[in-house]
Amino acid sequence: MSECEQRMNEQRRQILQMLADGKITAGEAERLLDALDREKPASPRARPRYLRVLVSWDDDFDGPGRVNVRVPLQLLRAGVRLASLLPPQALARANDELARSGVPIDLTQLKPQHLDDLVEHLDDLTVDVDQPDAKVRLYCE
Amino acid sequence: MIPMLVTIRRRRPGGRWRRLAVPVLPVLLVLSPLLLLAVLAGLVACLVFRVNPAQALAVAGRVAGALPGTLIEVDDGRTALRISVR
Repeated sequence: MSECEQRMNEQRRQILQMLADGKITAGEAERLLDALDREKPASPRARPRYLRVLVSWDDDFDGPGRVNVRVPLQLLRAGVRLASLLPPQALARANDELARSGVPIDLTQLKPQHLDDLVEHLDDLTVDVDQPDAKVRLYCE
Repeated sequence: MIPMLVTIRRRRPGGRWRRLAVPVLPVLLVLSPLLLLAVLAGLVACLVFRVNPAQALAVAGRVAGALPGTLIEVDDGRTALRISVR
């Protein structure tokens, strides 16, 4: 039980005690309890567990197609850890290839903590791409 | 928790579905001699590439443990493939 819930239970108990002692009327107790309920914080949003990738298209020759991939976010986190095991030589070669492709990212500067943060913030990510013959949707659920 | 069941379903152009359910644990037990060889090969690779074997094993365990819940569905025209890890 959170500290906030404990405090509210204590206040509720005090109201009922005042009612029992005759210090307040039943109507006043009801109003106080209603006010207490209104103060109750909204329940926290459930954390997403999966990354969903939906792709659909309509091809003139093969007809419609669809790809639906659900990846547990936990798997992404584990994958991040796996990436942190890459030996420095491999990272140097990957850096060279990225630079050659016009993506100057130094992978050796990426720490597991940074990647963890990235995965954490995927929760709020939604990507929608709409084209006349294809749709891509990426979100966490 | 490692995956318990991998289900692979495939729809052929004729429209018929073929389904293959792979119980992971029994298959791992049957293939345990090969698995041991794979672990040894992984150990050698870790030493060659100077990667901490214990860390690599832990990460591999985390990846395997995170697999349940994975779902891949591909529909393309008259063929389709569904892979589900539970």
